[in-house]
Amino acid sequence: MNYFPEEVLEHVFDFLKSHRDRNAVSLVCKSWYRVERFSRERVFIGNCYAINPDRLIERFPRLRSLTLKGKPHFADFNLVPHDWGGFVYPWIDAMAKRGVNLEELRLKRMVVSDEGLELLSRSFVNFKSLILVSCEGFTTDGLAAIASNCRFLRELDLQENEVEDHRGQWLSCFPDSCTSLVSLNFACLKGEVNLAALERLMARSCNLRSLKLNHAVPLDTLQKILAQAPQLVDLGTGSFVSDPDSETFRRLRTAIQKCASIKSLSGFLEVAPCCLPAIYPICLNLTTLNLSYAQGIHGSELIKLIRHCGKLQRLWILDCIGDKGLGVVASTCKELQELRVFPSDLHGDGHAAVTEEGLVAISAGCPKLHSLLYFCQQMTNAALITVAKNCPNFTRFRLCIINPTIPDPVTMQPLDEGFGAIVQSCKGLRRLSLSGLLTDQVFLYIGMYAEQLEMLSVAFAGDSDKGMLCVLNGCKKLKKLEIMDSPFGNLALLTDVGKYETMRSLWMSSCEVTLGGCKTLAKKMPRLNVEIINEGDQMEATPDDDRQKVEKMYLYRSLVGARRDAPDFVWTL
Amino acid sequence: MTMELQLGLALPNNITEGFDLNSRGSEPLSHVGSCLASESGIREYNSKKRSFDEAFVPQTLALLVWNKQPNEEDEGHSELDKNSSTISKSDGDDDGIVGWPPIKTPRRKLCHQNCGGFSGGNFDDGGPRPRGSKSTYVKVKMEGVAIARKVDVNLHHSYQSLRDTLDDMFGRGLKNVKAYKLTYQDGEGDWLLAGDVPWR
Repeated sequence: MNYFPEEVLEHVFDFLKSHRDRNAVSLVCKSWYRVERFSRERVFIGNCYAINPDRLIERFPRLRSLTLKGKPHFADFNLVPHDWGGFVYPWIDAMAKRGVNLEELRLKRMVVSDEGLELLSRSFVNFKSLILVSCEGFTTDGLAAIASNCRFLRELDLQENEVEDHRGQWLSCFPDSCTSLVSLNFACLKGEVNLAALERLMARSCNLRSLKLNHAVPLDTLQKILAQAPQLVDLGTGSFVSDPDSETFRRLRTAIQKCASIKSLSGFLEVAPCCLPAIYPICLNLTTLNLSYAQGIHGSELIKLIRHCGKLQRLWILDCIGDKGLGVVASTCKELQELRVFPSDLHGDGHAAVTEEGLVAISAGCPKLHSLLYFCQQMTNAALITVAKNCPNFTRFRLCIINPTIPDPVTMQPLDEGFGAIVQSCKGLRRLSLSGLLTDQVFLYIGMYAEQLEMLSVAFAGDSDKGMLCVLNGCKKLKKLEIMDSPFGNLALLTDVGKYETMRSLWMSSCEVTLGGCKTLAKKMPRLNVEIINEGDQMEATPDDDRQKVEKMYLYRSLVGARRDAPDFVWTL
Repeated sequence: MTMELQLGLALPNNITEGFDLNSRGSEPLSHVGSCLASESGIREYNSKKRSFDEAFVPQTLALLVWNKQPNEEDEGHSELDKNSSTISKSDGDDDGIVGWPPIKTPRRKLCHQNCGGFSGGNFDDGGPRPRGSKSTYVKVKMEGVAIARKVDVNLHHSYQSLRDTLDDMFGRGLKNVKAYKLTYQDGEGDWLLAGDVPWR
């Protein structure tokens, strides 16, 4: 048997960046497990309730970077009550107490409190990077603590969080000695910022690469910042409104022209269309463009802008671009890899902004496309079949037809064949979201062909338990399954209970599973947490009536049993 | 202080005064009313799926009557969205089925803003404004369309620019939006064709 000194093993493991690879090597044998755990610095935890802080720190004492995810994905769409859980405080507390040298914390869908941020800012002297995505529970006071106390802060990245804005002076809390900022994103904040403090902070942050402003930062300030930061790589504008004849605007144009490094552009939270030509010079270099919050830019202007963006790899846009605009994208952006088209108007008077035509055009013009999120009013099987043929490289395919049970408008058939073509053609598909009229047939296809599928989102689909069973049976790599408003019940839930230990989680809401079914599952599988979200006290009155349908069920594997922070309306069976 | 201006879009032979908020606007509400009654009753265990009827929840209609600062309505929305911890079905969702369409809250709020028609933003933060004047939001209704839009005329510098924006807003799916004429009602209540008077 070959003998490798542990130092050599450790050195080899250093080259392993992905946590999946590291997880794999730790399973080889006890000595590899030991070497790996002492050398792992970055840990990813996909469900914060699958493990607890103490066991985490026990296993990985050299922890420096922690990524945690909390609430289930459907929480994004208001299906999960606010105080369901996902609190980060216990993690910060435990790491502080046990002397973890934390440098980076990345959280998604977690509840973060000001107390937690304060504790974080005081407990880890080398703390460098805070990234919060879709979190809530904190205010700008918490941000002030981070700004004040984290002496070596490099990154403060707030993405789509619900932050209570006290309109205070959090930006002013960065001390004059703080010059280490590389990335600052406060686009999601609703309130005012001290513009003078911002300008001074930017002036002394010579390492700044990424800056995303909120709507309260006017073009005048943007101009001043850009004049001092031509090295920016990633820019999110706040308000982009000015008189095009003004001196301010002229200065902005000059400043932008010097920003030769900008590869990623976003923002335009407020925009006067006549100001857009100022950014044309940098469009040529853009690889990422996110205009999905730019309600003020209408179709024709969007198209004019896109024509300048020949190197685009990632585009997030509103559907007011229209099918015609997507045609322009298809002919201009030959390097496109990721496209997201969001709805701009949910109350639309029925006029379709984008349809299957736009998607087909994109698939024909952009051979490198592998990631798609597409909101539209209608879709046809023929279009999906064409898309599948044109783009066999999809890894993520999320289609959202706004009316969720609509059939193919041409043939009046369900969309089973269209999605079937996608899963059959795209052998590397890892994530799929379905919509439109769908029968059990689509699940048959998914179970048969979607061999690499890890995450599946289902709404208003299927006819019977058979559908769900096909997926559970066929998709060997399934990690997350989330289902709403579909007729899957106890038979589907209970046929293969062992499956759920191979998955991260299962969400079912407004389906046919009953309380009895959930109880049975919980009993059979002690290492699963089967949680019922019981709103409106429907079940309080008759907790023993096992025939009641369960409105929302969320189950997940866990090494630490039922969580102790569940609110009253969450029952762990 | 906002000027109260109303603009109207109509086909040339049809310049009328009273644009009706036709019944399409109010239908969903009454529909929802009856659904609520059944919702609070006994749940039907027989039906396979939650049909649209059962799934609909009351809308908090952003009314089109406005004479306040634009962001007041805004705050109303966000207050409703960020509400209590015990979720009732009407919490957080404002246009139909809870959880559908699958759009995150920040984007959803933006969609509603758009429905209300803000094409720019609010100008109350003391930031610089075009030409240094206060923002002026006007309500624009198109003949035959139930829902009006709001436009900030200060973001535009000419009738053509305003017209282009309105064409984009109302013209999606319409074959000949350019045939429509733009009219406005002045302070005295007279309807005039836009373009006769210089932009300023």
